[in-house]
Amino acid sequence: MKLRHAKLIDFTGTVDGFVHPAGFDRAVIQLLRSKDKAEVAIIVDRAHCEGLATFASVVLVNDHVNLSGDNPLVGPNDASVGPRFPVVNNIYLNAADTMDQEETWTLGNPLGRVPSVVAAGLRDGQVPDSAQLDFLRSLNVGFYCYNLVPAMLIAAHAGLKVLGLGLPSGQSLSPDITACLLR
Amino acid sequence: MTEVTQISAADAVGRIRKTYPVTPDAAVILGSGVNVLEGLQNSIVLSYTDLFGHAPSVAGHSGTLTIGRLGSGAADPLVAVFRGRFHLYEGYSWDMVSLGARTVVEWGVPNLFVTNAAGGLNLEFNVGDLMVLTGYRDHLSPKWKSEGLLPAVMAPATVCANKQTEKLLSVGAKLAAEDSRFRGLRQGVYAGLLGPSYETMAEIDMLRKLQCDAVGMSTVPELLVCETSKTACCAVSVITNVWKPDEVMGGHEEVLEASKAASRRLDLLFRRILVEK
Repeated sequence: MKLRHAKLIDFTGTVDGFVHPAGFDRAVIQLLRSKDKAEVAIIVDRAHCEGLATFASVVLVNDHVNLSGDNPLVGPNDASVGPRFPVVNNIYLNAADTMDQEETWTLGNPLGRVPSVVAAGLRDGQVPDSAQLDFLRSLNVGFYCYNLVPAMLIAAHAGLKVLGLGLPSGQSLSPDITACLLR
Repeated sequence: MTEVTQISAADAVGRIRKTYPVTPDAAVILGSGVNVLEGLQNSIVLSYTDLFGHAPSVAGHSGTLTIGRLGSGAADPLVAVFRGRFHLYEGYSWDMVSLGARTVVEWGVPNLFVTNAAGGLNLEFNVGDLMVLTGYRDHLSPKWKSEGLLPAVMAPATVCANKQTEKLLSVGAKLAAEDSRFRGLRQGVYAGLLGPSYETMAEIDMLRKLQCDAVGMSTVPELLVCETSKTACCAVSVITNVWKPDEVMGGHEEVLEASKAASRRLDLLFRRILVEK
């Protein structure tokens, strides 16, 4: 899977070379739906992992549960963008999908060292209480976030694969990962 | 939100009664691709556009109300069949998606049967199975948009316990005993999700942990409306696929195909239950 023409969206505002929306909004939808050579959207969101897990750096998203109570695809469907009922399985890329074998030999694959978790998408600003955190842990959720899930649904509807990254507060992407994403 | 001129249930009933003054013994609301109770006698057909001011936009929903008798006699059961429904994922308001059921209640119809196309979560289920809802989970009400879904997923399922549900199960058992080609009914808990995207595998895992047996994007509004009414509501899911990790999930076309295949058994079930007192 080629990352070369990927759409680059960073909701944390910390990754150079990415678009930095303040939150999931119409501009993000327009960016993800714009017709170009992209096959992939790389989406970085703030990973809230307090009470769930401890991560030393960025984490890769392997799946999500949408617990926001909403879906950005609700409403009349534009069939020129995607199907009425999009199948959103197998949309998230794993580390091995991001590089072909030759690239791995020459560059290594820094994302391969990153933990891979399930993200929970919550209503914007919602902070789960202890019982809710217990419930999220029972689902093996590694972190919760506010923007990644709606952005992924829009991307998947538009036919894109998604490289989802969760960045814990106070962390930044290492230079080798940034270089891998921007190559 | 999809803009629709709002028609009240009382308005809809008024429009129906102008054409057909008799109150039916039962009503049926049919979901995607489910086609039963064709050929009603002395029937009339009203379009949803005439009745509700709007037609469903999803394939597999014809958007008509047929009122007629199961047989040619005046004593044969009178049935109202709503072919299609409005969905929240289309952008309709809660008032609009519940309008069919509220019309049935306002009309004074004592029994409402609801069908839907659902994905099977229970790994013992097969494509084409019919599942009688013995419980449901509301994961789609608009209130979750402001509250978030965590309270919904942490709440227990609502039990569907009424005489019509028991009757569906007993009539289904009789039909299976009489004819080996009539596949026995399943029963289980239905999770109503907002959609329109299908579920991720992590969401499927969550719903299985919550002991749900099937998942879809409808039916909960009808059940909620009838809970506080004199209309007894029961529901049947047509299992159109079974979520398995090693199988690729099909799309809406697959849903429609599986619904067609199960429609014949559902037709037998409804015809029998409507004539049995």
